[in-house]
Amino acid sequence: MSSSCDALVIGAGANGLAAAAYLARAGKRVIVVEAQNKTGGLCQSVKLAGDFSAPLAHTLYALDPRVVKELRLAGRDLKFAVRDLAVVGLRADGKHLVLSRDVHATARSIAAHSQADAKAWKPFRRELFSLARAARALWWEDGAFADARLEPFRRMSAAALLDGWFESDALKAALAFDATDGGLSPLEPGSALVLLWRAAQEMCGLQGAAAAIARGPQVLTDTLAEAALSAGAEIRTGARVAKILVTDGAAAGVALDSGETIAARIVLSSLSRRQTLTALLPDGEAGFGQHFASPRTGSAAVSLALKTLPEFSGSVAPRNARFILAEKMESYVAAHAAAAAGRLPDELTMELTIPSAADSSLAPLGQHIASVLVRPVPLAADPEQLEAKVIAALNRVVPGISAQIAAANVAVGADTTDVMRLAMRWNERLKTPLRGLMVLEEPVTAISGRAGRIAASLAAKENDT
Amino acid sequence: MRYDVCVIGASMDGLAAAAALALAGLKVAVVERNAVPGGRAQTHEFHPGFRASPFLDELAPIPREIHWAFDLTRRGALFLSAAEPGTRIAAALARAFEEADAPPRRTAWFERTPPRRPWPGEELALCALADVTKGDLARPLEGRAADPALAGSALHLLVPCNGGMVAGGLGKLTEALAACARDAGVELTLGTDVTDIRNAKGRATGIGLADGSEIEARAVISTLDLKRTFLSLFQWDALPKPTIKRVSAWRMGGGTARVLFALEAAPAATREPIAIGFDAANLSASYAAWRAGLIPETPPTVLRLVSASDPSLAPQGAATLTATLGSIPFRLFDGAWTHEKRDALRDRALAAARTVFPNLGIAAAEVIAPPDIEEALGATEGDLWGGEIASDQMLDMRPGPRTEIHGLYLAGPSSASGPLATCASGVAAARAVLADMRAGRLK
Repeated sequence: MSSSCDALVIGAGANGLAAAAYLARAGKRVIVVEAQNKTGGLCQSVKLAGDFSAPLAHTLYALDPRVVKELRLAGRDLKFAVRDLAVVGLRADGKHLVLSRDVHATARSIAAHSQADAKAWKPFRRELFSLARAARALWWEDGAFADARLEPFRRMSAAALLDGWFESDALKAALAFDATDGGLSPLEPGSALVLLWRAAQEMCGLQGAAAAIARGPQVLTDTLAEAALSAGAEIRTGARVAKILVTDGAAAGVALDSGETIAARIVLSSLSRRQTLTALLPDGEAGFGQHFASPRTGSAAVSLALKTLPEFSGSVAPRNARFILAEKMESYVAAHAAAAAGRLPDELTMELTIPSAADSSLAPLGQHIASVLVRPVPLAADPEQLEAKVIAALNRVVPGISAQIAAANVAVGADTTDVMRLAMRWNERLKTPLRGLMVLEEPVTAISGRAGRIAASLAAKENDT
Repeated sequence: MRYDVCVIGASMDGLAAAAALALAGLKVAVVERNAVPGGRAQTHEFHPGFRASPFLDELAPIPREIHWAFDLTRRGALFLSAAEPGTRIAAALARAFEEADAPPRRTAWFERTPPRRPWPGEELALCALADVTKGDLARPLEGRAADPALAGSALHLLVPCNGGMVAGGLGKLTEALAACARDAGVELTLGTDVTDIRNAKGRATGIGLADGSEIEARAVISTLDLKRTFLSLFQWDALPKPTIKRVSAWRMGGGTARVLFALEAAPAATREPIAIGFDAANLSASYAAWRAGLIPETPPTVLRLVSASDPSLAPQGAATLTATLGSIPFRLFDGAWTHEKRDALRDRALAAARTVFPNLGIAAAEVIAPPDIEEALGATEGDLWGGEIASDQMLDMRPGPRTEIHGLYLAGPSSASGPLATCASGVAAARAVLADMRAGRLK
């Protein structure tokens, strides 16, 4: 059995579906093949016993606003439950640190830990955000790194950046969690760039915000799939790709596990560069000298179904926030070293959200979902051990939470951010040695749709010439 | 009396700068705080009859041209094993010298405007040492605090410590270089502390000494590290605010401690350094401990039976053993470096040594902890390499020889060529001074 199309997309995640929608809108015949029986990829939610729906990615912070606008996703049910989650550094002593968009309120909260840091907060934020806007030329468009101030950032570590600005452990620990996005240690060069990348993003018109989609992130991929389908794309689920077909050094289509082949001159892969080039290509086609970062650590999404709304000990903290649990910068360093060596860290560094606090559709009335992102964890972390350790850590800031848990789920994934590719131009990041084959890779792994949008425009350009 | 150039510190870099300038016909004074010149390259008797170089057994290699230009071999510096800078370092050095010779750029210090020409060696900036070298981690990481699994750690390859041992200890190398400087007409003042760099209108005019006198000079070369030069030799209001901010944000690394053992009897002779605890897991754990201000359980240790290669370092029949420990924090989380903590460090080094030489008879031991290095050498936080070896603090991200103060030049470990090779930063500063004098930029 065989069929053909202009462009074939492997994987029905946010990037794959966005690419499909754009290509279909440009008049291409597009087929999306998805190995699983449903679309969504990273945007999926897990169902916990008792009608709980827990999103694996509990916040969205990198969605490309142009994808939302150009594909008219807002007109197709994409609604936000929270537009801007504050960051709360949960402290064992109860003096929680609340970092919100209100710089004055934030400075007051920081002042409880350090006066000097409270004074430094405003200039820090201003400088980071203005630099981040300058870096959008690189991360949002197919442009270059053009600002002299960005040069030192390329080789700076987040620890160096934050140590240069602040003195209090509480503040540095609360800020450093975002720098570990993608599995870097905050001591590594490039981790400052990850912080900058986070600050360059825009959600709901707010720079550097983290938002949550109403009814879970699955709604995003559902609306993207709708946009792709209405533009004429075809989506096939339960179709696993076995190999990418190659003729004369160019991609010619794919062969599915079922034996079916689909001919296509453009193949876009949502899998990582490593998986695409090593597992899907025939031997010898990937070319020499390819650099792949192998994942060293992973992150875990621990979802807990709670019978009541958790109450934090200590000072009052907002409910709609990302709660960071990390004692100090060194906690991340030690955790990264332990996780890379395959051990579960003594002190887990994690981010907790309560998605159901703003979106009651996720849990039965009066009950709640707590979602914990633990990073870093070993690649082969034992889920039961991890769950027990997370609950023990939560118990310290939310006394009695262990008695409230009705159900739990642990999902561990690998973190594969490559320092080398962080400040790369899109053209180089997406293209592969094989003509017609592109990988839909973000600078930092995130739900974005941007790689799909840019790949679609590059593919269309290439196909025309 | 007015000199052409005044050099602060008679380290290898300072002496090299002074000798190079004096050989070019300039009138040069060198002022050193300690009673002996040499800085890191010293040798002292730590127990009657037992001698060792207290801070390092081997320096970075000296580039061949510099070695020849100062005629060090004829002046008594005999290397027991010779080494040359590697090709990558040689290329980076060539680039550093090229920048020293070129006219100063109009951009502010530290600032780089793209598009820029990448430096040789920059390809290591985002690599992990464990990915780049297969096997031997002890050679690049001796006495350091670094995690070879982290990106950026490969830069330690640009900071070598394999220049070879010198007959009679590293002090002999200093003596040879000092003799060369004196022959060229350099005035070397020992035992005098420099209190400040005299400056007016953003221009260095000389140095003030602890005895209240002053040395006037057209140019001043500091071989102290960046922090000590700018934060302790200037009045608090003499420097522009951004400069103070940049200098304050400079991070020190270090992590070196040394234990010198005088052994009653010579164990089975081995000349090769013995590395203990340099497996990736122990290095990572030690580095995490260093960051947290803890002395690691098993610090990565390199043992050298220095008297086996150089019998002059110990009495007949006895032996001198040095232990270089890495990942030893300057600031301990539980307070100051007390005698008990120094003893504990000695015991850890001894335990490591006993795994190799089971029956050691110790006649005496001297512990050199990071604060001791800071006190003896004026190296901030005991960092022998003038700043953490990180990708935002190496190569062109280190200050070049010219600084924001007109007429003040930075040599020493914090400058771009400082960690790459011995004497190199002194020569680079001397070349920058000569270039500026020829162009009439120094009055």
